[in-house]
Amino acid sequence: MPAWNLPTARHLLRRTGFGATRVAAQALLDSHATLGAAIDALLEFKPSKFKPGGRYVEDIHNKWLKYMIKTRQPLQERLVLFWHDHFATSYDKVGQVDLMALQNRLLRVNCKGDFKALVKAINKDAAMMEFLDTVRNRRNQPNENYARELEELFTLGVKDPLGNDNYDQEDIVQIARAFSGWDYGNKGAAEFNDGQHDYAADYPERGPKRIFKVRGGFGNAAGQDFTSAGEGAQEIDTVIDIIFQHRYGPGLRNTVADYIARRLITYFAFSDPSASFVESVADASSFAGTWDIAALLKQIFLHDDFYLTAAPPSAVTKKSVKWPIDYVVTTVRLLDMKLKGKYQATQGGDYRDARSALINMGQSLFEPPSVFGWDWELAWLSSSTLLARYGFARDISNSRNGGATSLRPERLMDLSLTDPVAIVAAVADILGVDDQLSAGERTALINYLTDGSGVGPVNLLDDNTRFEKLHGLFAVVLQSPAYQLQ
Amino acid sequence: MAISRRQFLSRTGLASAGALLGPNLFRNPWMQQAMAATIGDRYFVVLFLDGGNDGQNTIIPVTSSLRPAYESNRGTGPGGIRIVNPLVPATPMLDQTGQIGFHPGLHSLADMYDDGMVAVIQGGGYPDYNLSHEVSRSIWERGNPFSSVGTGWMGRYLANSGYLGSDIPAVNIGGSVSGDFVQTATSVLVFDRLNDFGFPYDYSYSGDSGTKDAAFTALHNAALANGNAAMQYLGGTGNSTLTATNQYPTLHDLYEADRSAWSDQYQNDTPAGLNTGTARGFREIAKVIYGVAQGAIPASLSARFFELSNGGYDTHSNQGADAADGDHYRLHAEVADSIKLFFQDLADMSSGAPMGSGLANLDSKVTVMVFSEFGRRIEQNDNGTDHGSQGPMFVIGGAVNGGVYGNHPNIDDIDDNGNTRYSQDNGNAFRSTDFRDVYGTILKHWLGIANPLPLLPLDTDFGYAGVDYWTAPNFNMGFLP
Repeated sequence: MPAWNLPTARHLLRRTGFGATRVAAQALLDSHATLGAAIDALLEFKPSKFKPGGRYVEDIHNKWLKYMIKTRQPLQERLVLFWHDHFATSYDKVGQVDLMALQNRLLRVNCKGDFKALVKAINKDAAMMEFLDTVRNRRNQPNENYARELEELFTLGVKDPLGNDNYDQEDIVQIARAFSGWDYGNKGAAEFNDGQHDYAADYPERGPKRIFKVRGGFGNAAGQDFTSAGEGAQEIDTVIDIIFQHRYGPGLRNTVADYIARRLITYFAFSDPSASFVESVADASSFAGTWDIAALLKQIFLHDDFYLTAAPPSAVTKKSVKWPIDYVVTTVRLLDMKLKGKYQATQGGDYRDARSALINMGQSLFEPPSVFGWDWELAWLSSSTLLARYGFARDISNSRNGGATSLRPERLMDLSLTDPVAIVAAVADILGVDDQLSAGERTALINYLTDGSGVGPVNLLDDNTRFEKLHGLFAVVLQSPAYQLQ
Repeated sequence: MAISRRQFLSRTGLASAGALLGPNLFRNPWMQQAMAATIGDRYFVVLFLDGGNDGQNTIIPVTSSLRPAYESNRGTGPGGIRIVNPLVPATPMLDQTGQIGFHPGLHSLADMYDDGMVAVIQGGGYPDYNLSHEVSRSIWERGNPFSSVGTGWMGRYLANSGYLGSDIPAVNIGGSVSGDFVQTATSVLVFDRLNDFGFPYDYSYSGDSGTKDAAFTALHNAALANGNAAMQYLGGTGNSTLTATNQYPTLHDLYEADRSAWSDQYQNDTPAGLNTGTARGFREIAKVIYGVAQGAIPASLSARFFELSNGGYDTHSNQGADAADGDHYRLHAEVADSIKLFFQDLADMSSGAPMGSGLANLDSKVTVMVFSEFGRRIEQNDNGTDHGSQGPMFVIGGAVNGGVYGNHPNIDDIDDNGNTRYSQDNGNAFRSTDFRDVYGTILKHWLGIANPLPLLPLDTDFGYAGVDYWTAPNFNMGFLP
């Protein structure tokens, strides 16, 4: 466990929210005696029942975006984004805005609760039922899509950490039968259609409803019977109960617990964590027993390895790339700005709406490219997506018309500063990268501010200087390599 | 038995299509050479007709056995959309039903057909046709009706060809990357006008741009020198991006300096230039090709693959017949006239160019593919048509083996929804053309992919087999040598 000090507080806030100002970090440090107490405070929020409303997908997108910018519980939204990627469902196929909005609320309400209950709820989520074809899974035309992704992506993963397959094709085929007959009705309410359900007696050629004869460490070649709590509507719950008992390796570790712990670490910390990081947090939180997401998160945030991305980038530090949505929301929040109106547009330039910018950066909320979600880390970055980030940075820095949607440095820093070194430090601090910059990068920023001379004084109270150089400095930092990372 | 998703992913390497080669492979000469050998000196353009082009009024029965069915479903007189006199090119167009012709708005395409430059591919589509614009478009762009895949078919081609995040192999004319080019391996530049493309500097303080460039470059050079892999990647890609924003607009300057009379033909209305969105899009592509062919910008930034689109094809009403002021006529004329001018421009660029040089034979080095997300029903409604299924595609260029490919859909035997029936049955005289055979033929015969199957999974890979499904590829359709 790291020392409880300002850098630790700031890193904790940064990775569990959308950017962290020095003031907020200091407040967290001052209000809690220990790291553990601070983490408890961050995790004790009551999940909101917010559901983005609107007729078109742009509307619910913009409502959610605005909510993220305003929220006092940013960890909640970080989690909703994670679950949105994890249980990736795309409006592209679902085609119904209200179902996407309902799923969004489902993810929010369950974001830090019981993971097993969350999966059982996703089984019956209307948008998910459309997306992975549960609604087309009928007794005489079974559809395996959901059964496959449930195991492959949502709970177990294709292979366990030791490289062995977690399930067989046979497991998928049988699990698909459990989901036959499910559909949704009015307002997305799940319905079980008994007449469309694949009952074992009707299809003896499909064999018994048993799974994990070989995989899962159950040690029973006859397999696990998912009609044990009754055949019919209950099967989908029993299937989940069985999956959550799946174990791997000679140590018979719980597969779902380690898989989800790894995914959450990859999201909040960095990709490719060590097995010991994963296993220790799963064990310390008893995740395999309680399925309590908040408890698991607490162990992640207490662990030393969580703080490995805190240091400035170097050959030994790990770094993570900000998602496009992180880039946009963090920027607006750190600069204490708002986006304008129904389309959540930036004021500077053409009143470009944030959704177009995000799409060009490679992330369209409610429309993940596939059930695999988005590709993270360096896959976010190419010439075209970087240009979209640079364009957004320019638009933000060009917002000079006054009001809450403009960049107002006077609210963020002391404009009577004249020393370029201090000004660069202040801007870098506002954007949360002051502890990340090397001496060379700092010099480059000072040279920018002073048009190459390297020395001041710089008069920020002069309108032209402020609009050109100070706003320009914000843009340059927002476009810098360090700011793309976290 | 269908293979599992896992097997499919590992077999095709698609799981790693989004994974990037390490930053140490920024400049791998072997990779560059391999890429150059694959596509040689060629260019490829995709033109998407947005909205569902009415194929039945694009390629039309003349003295074909389907003419009576065409006439009984489409009327003349007010609201009627029947093409009474389809345009017959000098080289007769024949399919399995007899003689067919073009919509008169496509007269420029008919001219090119007579030059042997146009392959008309009939009955393009896929099984279980989806009539939603968004879903069907996505299917065409992803090259996959049955699975949720996060990449476009051209995107998979780019990822498979080893391009890096700092390379720019493709340009899309428009506002965002088109679905067929989506991938996470490399960069697709997006712009409407080359002249407006550039680094996003401050709108009001342009004098500061030089100092901003200096700061940007210094920061990204520092990142390149950092031991951290993510920083190195950002440093290299950022620098390439800045270079691209400086280099690409010079292509506009070069073209305008050398070919301003041609530029006017795409744009101006006096003397009568085309002055349409599609024409302007092709002009921007011509600008890039003209510069790239002469090595005017660094090779790694030289795009060869393009996409543009023309909208307005969703003609549920007021479609119009053969009158020149009709909606569909104007759409057809816009597209055909633009393509003809584009190839004339390319041919002119090549005249006088030394043999073997980049500019030589440009009109034979560029191939254009035209498609729409679906066709429309043979039965007209009040004065237009509703969404249909399979429809014609075009592949156009100097290297193309012109002619008619595929079969005319059977408009005499439509299903309960009013759509022609899609079939892959070899015994069926009206057998459809799976769009993936067209993509595959292009990948194999134009883009140098010896075996396109990893990029275009069969329907059997997803558990779909039977007479309607695409279970046996034909990547040698013949429209490209």
